[in-house]
Amino acid sequence: MDPFSSAAIARQTWELENNIVSAGEASDSSAAASDAIFYYDEAAQAKFQQEKPWANDPHYFKRVKISALALLKMVVHARSGGTIEVMGLMQGKTDGDAIIVMDAFALPVEGTETRVNAQADAYEYMVDYSQTNKQAGRLENVVGWYHSHPGYGCWLSGIDVSTQMLNQQYQEPFLAVVIDPTRTVSAGKVDIGAFRTYPDGYKPPDEPVSEYQTIPLNKIEDFGVHCKQYYALDITYFKSSLDCHLLDLLWNKYWVNTLSSSPLLGNGDYFAGQISDLAEKIEQAENQLSHSRFGSLLAAPQRKKEEESQLTKITRDSAKITVEQVHGLMSQVIKDILFNSVRQSNKSQAEPSGPEPMVET
Amino acid sequence: MASSSSSGLTFKLHPLVIVNISDHYTRVKSQSLPPHSAADASSLPLLLRLEYSDASSVSSAAAPSRSSTASSFSTTPPPTPSTALFSRKSKSSVYKKVFPHFYILGWYSTGSDAQESDMIIHKALMDINESPVYVLLNPSINPAQKDLPITIYESELHVIDGIPQLIFVRSSYTIETVEAERISVDHVAHLKPSDGGSAATQLAAHLTGIHSAIKMLNSRIRVLHHYLLAMQKGDIPCENSLLRQVSSLLRRLPAIESEKFQDDFLMEYNDTLLITYLAMFTNCSSTMNELVDKFNTAYDRQGRRGGRTAFI
Repeated sequence: MDPFSSAAIARQTWELENNIVSAGEASDSSAAASDAIFYYDEAAQAKFQQEKPWANDPHYFKRVKISALALLKMVVHARSGGTIEVMGLMQGKTDGDAIIVMDAFALPVEGTETRVNAQADAYEYMVDYSQTNKQAGRLENVVGWYHSHPGYGCWLSGIDVSTQMLNQQYQEPFLAVVIDPTRTVSAGKVDIGAFRTYPDGYKPPDEPVSEYQTIPLNKIEDFGVHCKQYYALDITYFKSSLDCHLLDLLWNKYWVNTLSSSPLLGNGDYFAGQISDLAEKIEQAENQLSHSRFGSLLAAPQRKKEEESQLTKITRDSAKITVEQVHGLMSQVIKDILFNSVRQSNKSQAEPSGPEPMVET
Repeated sequence: MASSSSSGLTFKLHPLVIVNISDHYTRVKSQSLPPHSAADASSLPLLLRLEYSDASSVSSAAAPSRSSTASSFSTTPPPTPSTALFSRKSKSSVYKKVFPHFYILGWYSTGSDAQESDMIIHKALMDINESPVYVLLNPSINPAQKDLPITIYESELHVIDGIPQLIFVRSSYTIETVEAERISVDHVAHLKPSDGGSAATQLAAHLTGIHSAIKMLNSRIRVLHHYLLAMQKGDIPCENSLLRQVSSLLRRLPAIESEKFQDDFLMEYNDTLLITYLAMFTNCSSTMNELVDKFNTAYDRQGRRGGRTAFI
């Protein structure tokens, strides 16, 4: 039984459904095509730097391509920080209207408020690192910075926005990436966002629809004040042919980890936090609703519209939390049936009962 | 040159290391754009690995986990041990600031087999770490291969022909990941949809992962099953140690069977059902709210003066 065939079909279905473009269609094409992205063309990069096409169009860069290595490093680093924000820099190059991130490295600073100052400390590290890297044959430059928002979503806070605006003035092209490791682990998919700020005073011609995310109550003000000052870029990932091959083989080994992961146990704190936050939001919404009882008729429709959307938001948040919780429970139930139902039948080990177990009990 | 290691240390390798090595190789390969054959095995970078457990708990019997994550800072090939040493020292001090728990564990290279020249570098590294580790990645893509083309070598002092010599011996390793790493590896490997998608796609994605894992488990069990059947029929000589292992595996099922576990499990089940219930409530009240507001806006325009209370 080849476990890869159905996985491959499933993957292709996903890619079709979600219009995912793998870089250079890496799956079957020649290795040279997909690895071409790793080639660093110094001359072309220098020319691009001089032309500065982004100076005239604040919305110039639209896409980000992140390499498998960079993503892994960033996520592992973000997760290792626990509940503390961590940050680092990304190296890469540009390609038309896309910024390509080839690698990432961590910076030895932690914390939130001190971040702007801490960057001064980290410059020495950065210079050192870049120099040794050049010797080591890695020719890319720093194209951006990343940091983590553990537990409260991928967006730019006020400090982040000002930092990024500064960066975009002096270090173009520069990109800001935010990762939420807590949500990544609880949702089972990577929570990441890439942003660029608009220059001061610039109003985007049309509001791009941004994906809704749950923001905890204590941060929602910070989010709301600045959310119009930056825009999100599309993120795609790429990997080399060797990476593909290795990752496929890796599956042979880490399927055990997939089966043994217990999201319910691991994320209990986070869930509890989310639910209590949701409760506070509901209370707040309720208070606002009861105020509008006595408001005048003319103003009421306006205010009511806001509460409506707030209640809808709360509903969406609660749906999201529930879905994650249910997923976790499903894993637990499946594992229970797989490993604890031996008493039911003697043959259960040898039976090809793969996806069927749900109906046994 | 390679026989199995007797040091008793188990190595746990993180996927990040593997991707790092492969990325380095790809980069070097693509920089020198004329197509290189796989004989370009002389990218010899150094490897910095992290150590979770204290050095004091490293003992051969206990076989603690030496988790490893790699960052490459390479030397220009072919390196001389002195230059390698120099760049390594400067780099390690810089790196110590970010990851204070890490220290240099060894080095890696690409190629198909460990060679004599590698021993020179290995010896040079012994200044820093008395027993360095050498990770070898075979970059040739062989589609028939089912095993990871990575071997880990340690060095051991063996007496060969009366002369004590350092030779490479192979060590076994397992793959270990933390949850976040697993998710991102999965993400990149299978290009799962990264945005919210609909609830159905999320559910399907989650279940697909579990399904594939269960299929792997099933296929492994089948292999064992066939093997045992063949043993029973007499096609294969009976191997008692294997039989003992299989029987001990069987005896471990059911995994947990106490009352307490059942209680806790059912409690968690109920909690999740409660949360679903609450979410449904919220959903219903929100829909009701919208309905009522729309009704108000559409129909009750006249009777609203003088403080009649609004619907909630």
